Amino acid sequence: MKMKKTRRSPGGLALLLCGMFALTSFFLFPASRAQAATPAFVRIIHASPFVATADVFVDGSPFLTSFAFGAIAGYSPVPPGSHKVQIALAGKGVSSAALTETLAIQPGGVYTVAAIGTKPTNLTLKVFVDSNLATNGMSKVRVYQLVPDGGWMDVMDNGKWMAGAAYQNATGYLTLSPGSAAFNLNSASMNRSLSLATTLQANIVTSIFAVGMFNGEPKAEIVTAQTAALPGLPQTGSDPAPILSSGGQLSTPWLLLALALVIVGGTLFTRRLFAH
Amino acid sequence: MVRQPVFRQLQFAFALLAFCCCLIGCDAQASVVGQAHADGPAIFPPASVTPTPGGPGIPLRLLIPAIGVNAPIEQVGIDSNGDLGTPSASPWTDTGWYVNGPRPGEKGSAVIDGHLNRPGNTPAVFWRLYELRAGDEADVIDSNGKKLRFRVTDVEYYTPQNAPYQLIFGNNSGKYLNLITCAGDWIPSQHQTTQRLVVYTRLI
Repeated sequence: MKMKKTRRSPGGLALLLCGMFALTSFFLFPASRAQAATPAFVRIIHASPFVATADVFVDGSPFLTSFAFGAIAGYSPVPPGSHKVQIALAGKGVSSAALTETLAIQPGGVYTVAAIGTKPTNLTLKVFVDSNLATNGMSKVRVYQLVPDGGWMDVMDNGKWMAGAAYQNATGYLTLSPGSAAFNLNSASMNRSLSLATTLQANIVTSIFAVGMFNGEPKAEIVTAQTAALPGLPQTGSDPAPILSSGGQLSTPWLLLALALVIVGGTLFTRRLFAH
Repeated sequence: MVRQPVFRQLQFAFALLAFCCCLIGCDAQASVVGQAHADGPAIFPPASVTPTPGGPGIPLRLLIPAIGVNAPIEQVGIDSNGDLGTPSASPWTDTGWYVNGPRPGEKGSAVIDGHLNRPGNTPAVFWRLYELRAGDEADVIDSNGKKLRFRVTDVEYYTPQNAPYQLIFGNNSGKYLNLITCAGDWIPSQHQTTQRLVVYTRLI
């Protein structure tokens, strides 16, 4: 029987190598696969004085219904990638959307998306990247300045300046001790202030949103949202070759070494004993 | 001349005795693991949680038949580094439920962690967690005596710096139980491994 000899083309060989590489990558680098499919988390706040109670659509499907001014929806998982977000007056349907924007969502990202704007021409979505990681035993606070006529607003806690933010911006995360707090958000340009007395809890992230209008409707106010701070991943591994374990006891490899030394010592002792 | 065979016999006997002692010592250490698993559930009184009427109780025991896990569940919080705490009463044989999160069976992401290995690289409770695959099942016995069954939906590896924390700890779109242990290589200077293994499960 005559064997048929085949010759691979360079293109075919390259294709084969690419395939092997893809397969190898798939099994060897699970983390990269994970990142591709990891959802992001998005929460939305309605902070547009122009739009009354609204429906929010993502990629044409209802996402939030009857979403009132000042309302904050909790974090929801969203697949990474580009998404079309539309906001329409409640019950009017997606075809009558007052706002249509496309957002780019990164895998594993955590976002606050604020619907802002005072008239049809400046309606927009402002995206903030959040970080809810815990700082052990402390409380975290972040202030989002969404009052269109508020300008720069200073954040005071019990009379002490903590941070500041201009319209459409947020402060960094303030790490504060748990306990009572008295916040004042001062607008120098308007000579007005918004106040919030609250009790800060350990390992809780408090988001303070300044919304509304100092001169106009709806009136400027503070709305808050609290979410549990998230711990980092635990350290659940142990030193594979420690000298001493954490409990101060000898671990197995060192126990074996110690016993080996005893054997050698015992052998030398008996050899000396019988030599005499 | 007469002494030499006796010396050799004694030498051999001594070495054999020492080797047997070694084996017995290792076996005793391994037996501790088995005994801990075989014991009844360790009860950790709820220090900071109170049972929700009608809801799931406090998780007391984790069973994962596919990898031979039958372990008590301790309650853990956040450690001084801001990381999820680990079991302290029996670090190598117990698992730790994140007490600031939801209970297994409640809406949200309940999280249970466990050690991969002991010092010296002998197995700890989640030594075989990496073997789990989508479709495998895990049970939690709660303080009401109820068994809650979860099914593995995904198994992922992350570096600690790039983990999707919100997905692991803060996904409120369903009733999840996520199991965590270490993976990858040991970094002596950081006293930790390079990766973390997260097994995602969902209540069925």
